[in-house]
Amino acid sequence: MSGFVNDIPLYAAGLATTIAVSLLGIFISVIVGIFLALALRSRFRLIAIPARGYIEFARGAPLALVLFLLYYGGPQFGLLLSPHVAGIVGLGLYGAGPFAEIFRAGFSAIPKGEQEAAEMLGLTPGQSFLNIELPQALRVTLPACVGQTINLVKESAVLSVITLGELTKVAGTISSITFAVVTPYLTIALLYWALVETIARLGFYAERRFTVKGS
Amino acid sequence: MTASKAAISVRGLQKHFGDKRVLSGIDLDIHAGDVTCIIGPSGSGKSTLLRSIAFLDPYDGGDVHVFGKLIGWRETPLGRERAGARELAEARRSLGMVFQHFHLWPHMSVLDNVTLALRLVHGVPRKQAEETGRAMLEKVGLSTFADRRPESLSGGQKQRVAIARALAVRPKAMLFDEPTSALDPELVGEVLSVMKTLAVEGMTMVIVTHEMGFAAHAASRVVFMDSGRIVEEGPPQTLFATPKSERLSQFLQTWRERAL
Repeated sequence: MSGFVNDIPLYAAGLATTIAVSLLGIFISVIVGIFLALALRSRFRLIAIPARGYIEFARGAPLALVLFLLYYGGPQFGLLLSPHVAGIVGLGLYGAGPFAEIFRAGFSAIPKGEQEAAEMLGLTPGQSFLNIELPQALRVTLPACVGQTINLVKESAVLSVITLGELTKVAGTISSITFAVVTPYLTIALLYWALVETIARLGFYAERRFTVKGS
Repeated sequence: MTASKAAISVRGLQKHFGDKRVLSGIDLDIHAGDVTCIIGPSGSGKSTLLRSIAFLDPYDGGDVHVFGKLIGWRETPLGRERAGARELAEARRSLGMVFQHFHLWPHMSVLDNVTLALRLVHGVPRKQAEETGRAMLEKVGLSTFADRRPESLSGGQKQRVAIARALAVRPKAMLFDEPTSALDPELVGEVLSVMKTLAVEGMTMVIVTHEMGFAAHAASRVVFMDSGRIVEEGPPQTLFATPKSERLSQFLQTWRERAL
């Protein structure tokens, strides 16, 4: 038991890393996802087709593969990334595909006439996007985004393969030193659960606060 | 150019959707203060005509001048090219548009719906924009609804908010695309009465409608369309009492039978 108490700082550090890396990775996923969703709608094939190709790639590639390519394959192209950066970027690029699909659906759920109304009132396409489309797309996709966020937080466990000291890596390390298996992995299971539960609750709260029915 | 005398001048307007010709050579002058109702069977091209005037449906032949400005196209020595977004917005500035399905923005309050363009496009400070917005809501009889969300309004109320939103930026002409067609019958009256007030105040209005009663009482001119052409036009009294064309007689006959 005293061993467990001694390990608490390790778990705390692992949890902090998992949270930080996931948040930054998901932030990248959302931003890239929005741009991909916009690219999919583009009239120009030169923009729409690569975006579609990227989404297909992200759907087919396991996260571990993306991370290996970035972290171990990157140096061959002069791309030397720390485990943190590779983890964040990898998670971001991997998550961008599903987020793009979510946002594509969200944008297409907004009646075209709402943009026409904005256009007739003189709003520029950019103003219309920021004030009419984006806020509504974010609202209607909120439940799906929460689900995707939870997925990515859980998938961040894979980041241990590139030596990143997040929760799963911490459990592995402790286990290899103490030869205990059940305690470290059950501990991080509880921590993952707490994290996911917190995100889900925040999501419910945000949904209640922001969701609007169509006019 | 005599065409520029009219508030809205349409010359030789043509529009195709793929192979289908929807407008085949429309000529129409709308003068300041005119209340023009466009009637006709479904698929006759009346909504497309209205949307072409606003360039929401880009036309592919002929001209539409709105208060002297060619809308949607730019004349160059090498021919015509599509106007840029800014030019198009400039040409549309004098037009307000009201849609069949309102198209209010559901994620903002009624007042924000009415003031958004004032703030973003016209740079009016929020406080002043809200004063104007409240005055517009007052005008359509909804001053107590400023803080409500569109979802909590009836169809008739939504359409009145949509009218207030269009009026807030002080257009010189208003286009109405079947403004009452999506409404329950008992809600049609409140929208028509707001429109009638506008007409009395001298607003230039072009209205695509199925409300023959409104056309008969409020219009200064009625235009009857069929198969992408203007078949007949004139003051409502003449047009409804003594239709010249067989097609209009038929159309009015069907309408009268349905009204019974």
